[in-house]
Amino acid sequence: MVQVEGLTKLYGDFTAVNELSFSIQPGEVVGLVGPNGAGKTTTLRCLAGIIPPSRGTVRVCGHDLATNAIEAKKQLAFLTDEPRLFDYLTVWQHLNFVARIYQVADYETIGATLLDELELANKKDSLPGELSRGMKQKLVIACGLLHSPKVIYFDEPLTGLDPYGIRRMKDSILKRARDGAAIIISSHLLHLVEEICTRLLILKNGQKIADGTMAEVTRKFSEQSGDASLEEIFFRATGDARAPLPPPVLPLEPK
Amino acid sequence: MIAALFYLLIQSSRNRLVTRFKRLKKPKYLFGALAGGLYFYFYFFRFLFQSGRQNSAHPAALSVLPPDLLGLMESLGALALFVIVVLAWLIPHDRAALTFSEAEVAFLFPAPVSRRTLVHFKLLRSQLRIFISAIFLTLLTRRFGGNPWTHAFGWWLILSTLDLHFLASSFARTLLLDHGISNRLRRLAVFALVGGGAGLVWLWAKKTLPPMTSADTVNATAFFNYAQQLLVAGPAEYLLYPFRLLVAPFFAADTGIFFTALAPALLLFLLHYCWVIFSDVAFEEASIEASQKLATKVEAVRAGNWQAAGKPPKAKRGWFQLQPVGPAATALLWKNLIGVGQIFSARLGIILIIVLAAFFGGLGSSANAKNLSVVAGIATAALLGYSLLIGPQLLRLDFRQDLPMADILKTFPLRGWQIALGEILAPAAVLAGFQWVLLLIGCALIFFLPGKHEGLMLAIGLGAAMLLPVLDFLLLIIPNAAVLLFPSWVQTGKDSPRGIEAIGQRMIFAVGQLVVMLLALVPAALAFAAVYFPLKFALGPVVPIPFAALAAALIIAAEGYLGVMLLGRWFERFDVTEEPAS
Repeated sequence: MVQVEGLTKLYGDFTAVNELSFSIQPGEVVGLVGPNGAGKTTTLRCLAGIIPPSRGTVRVCGHDLATNAIEAKKQLAFLTDEPRLFDYLTVWQHLNFVARIYQVADYETIGATLLDELELANKKDSLPGELSRGMKQKLVIACGLLHSPKVIYFDEPLTGLDPYGIRRMKDSILKRARDGAAIIISSHLLHLVEEICTRLLILKNGQKIADGTMAEVTRKFSEQSGDASLEEIFFRATGDARAPLPPPVLPLEPK
Repeated sequence: MIAALFYLLIQSSRNRLVTRFKRLKKPKYLFGALAGGLYFYFYFFRFLFQSGRQNSAHPAALSVLPPDLLGLMESLGALALFVIVVLAWLIPHDRAALTFSEAEVAFLFPAPVSRRTLVHFKLLRSQLRIFISAIFLTLLTRRFGGNPWTHAFGWWLILSTLDLHFLASSFARTLLLDHGISNRLRRLAVFALVGGGAGLVWLWAKKTLPPMTSADTVNATAFFNYAQQLLVAGPAEYLLYPFRLLVAPFFAADTGIFFTALAPALLLFLLHYCWVIFSDVAFEEASIEASQKLATKVEAVRAGNWQAAGKPPKAKRGWFQLQPVGPAATALLWKNLIGVGQIFSARLGIILIIVLAAFFGGLGSSANAKNLSVVAGIATAALLGYSLLIGPQLLRLDFRQDLPMADILKTFPLRGWQIALGEILAPAAVLAGFQWVLLLIGCALIFFLPGKHEGLMLAIGLGAAMLLPVLDFLLLIIPNAAVLLFPSWVQTGKDSPRGIEAIGQRMIFAVGQLVVMLLALVPAALAFAAVYFPLKFALGPVVPIPFAALAAALIIAAEGYLGVMLLGRWFERFDVTEEPAS
């Protein structure tokens, strides 16, 4: 579904992403992790066709994003951590607008189902300014899923959601994956990645440090035992080998 | 504690200044600063260095004004202040709220800072703004002569006292609300007091002053004499007394008079200061709300969304039903028209229709219809001309609004030209619609015009109706192209620049836009001439006008087509991460 070869993004002399190559199959949920400045968001923006890569190719469902951007983008959805909505359009008008952009003829049925699923049905005539942050996030998700994309990129998908929203979001991601969508999730929430991702891609300074299933990555970075948590693997993979790891957080003792 | 607040103010101002100086290293700010500096020099500072010549060149200088006229100006100044103060008591309805930034609320409100210290901090911060305003107003009024120092101090005193009065009145308003006196009751009381005062003045004028004749109303000297008598004697003298005290230092003709006028004005200022400081009103809750609103507005402006910085938008229906399948650019037109609906409502449309109907009804029954229609015709033509110049700047429901959402637009499966077309269509349609209404008004006025020019006027109207939509479209491409090519020069995106350099940037951009527009119009003008002059010999001067306009419109449409294609390509190449718009 997604094939990335030699993806490089330069900003002047600074290399944000360096020679990144990987591919994602239908139904795979890939966790994209790395410390701040690792190049995660830049990678996702290149994969979504928002910014052009300096070098390399990205193919979405067989369409080259550089030469056949329209067909590639029809299969894509990019859901950012910060809900970006049009101030003057109501919830339903957002869906109407997106339907026309993606030519979704039966948007009314799909849109109503999505709003029900995301508990936004009673807010369909509200403007973004009248919605909480979590509701805005849900609207972004509804807009992103309206055209039934085959490839979905999530950038910090749980930001602003309450525990119910988090549970639904996880279910929703897994449901799309079961339906055959290829999914990339960029997140600092390692427990989320550990819980729902089938594969892990670790970036550091724009370069791929690790790429494989959880078990493969765990094996690669476990010193003695193979049962290290993702948090420990993350620190081992991305930390300076000479620098000490951050000390573990001790639980509070009851008084 | 106040020392820490001083530190905050001084360091913030210093850092802001240093940042502005540092950014002059970039050519776009350096050239902007040069252009802005030249503008300020020629508009304001030039007069400072030419004070000797200037006074003789401007007979209206305060020091040479006849005492009567100076007195009238002082009275009018006092009247203006009176109106401002009355409005300050009439219009606001919120509880007292001192405007703090969100950071100030977060740091200062939980800190051990007394309410009075917070008020002092707010007053200190206002002083920065007031000093700058006083300097600019002095430079502005300096052109009319007088001593710059007394002017500057006069302005500072007026602005500072007004600032204190606004704050004190907001405290008083809150106290009244706390005592169960509603906004409505307060407004009624203010109306009653002002109405009573106005009634007294009217009664006094009726008894004492000779009535104004219709000839007096068109004679400026007689009119001003009457106003002078009305304002400096009788009840108005007492009503305006405190306001006159406040403006007196500014209008002082020499230094001696200035110092004489200074004491009572300073006393007024001090009284206001005591009023503010000794008012014990809880403003914290309303201030937190106000700071959040301010933060939302600042965020909206920084995101390039100037409309959102105003009152909150209302849900509006689309101007047409958007079908889910069809040309995708229509979706952007539909979206942006909904944004336009925030400004133009059905109620506004009905009001305009009523006003127009009343105007034409009055015109039909007026004995002076011909003269009035000439004036209205000139006004309509002027408005049409201004709409071409200002319309594309005012209607920003295109890339200038949506550029902060460029990353979202770029995920759409659309070609660049489709997005560009969709973005420009809405402002072009609105502008053309407005201009067509003006043309219709112009055509209606023809029937009241003297002489027999109906044919010529209709031909011009028809030609204009064909030309204007494509011209609007072309004119809107220019600022949109500028946004995509020079995002940091146009006011959109994050952190719109401020200061002299930003003014200079805008001036350079405006001149550039004018040059591009004139160049784009050359081929259209040639096409117009190429069709008009040959046909003129065969059909006379009137009939060829619409045909020539059509030819020019086709050329402009072709330019528009090329422009949209180019704009689309630039949008596709636009790197959303390349350059922040500051």
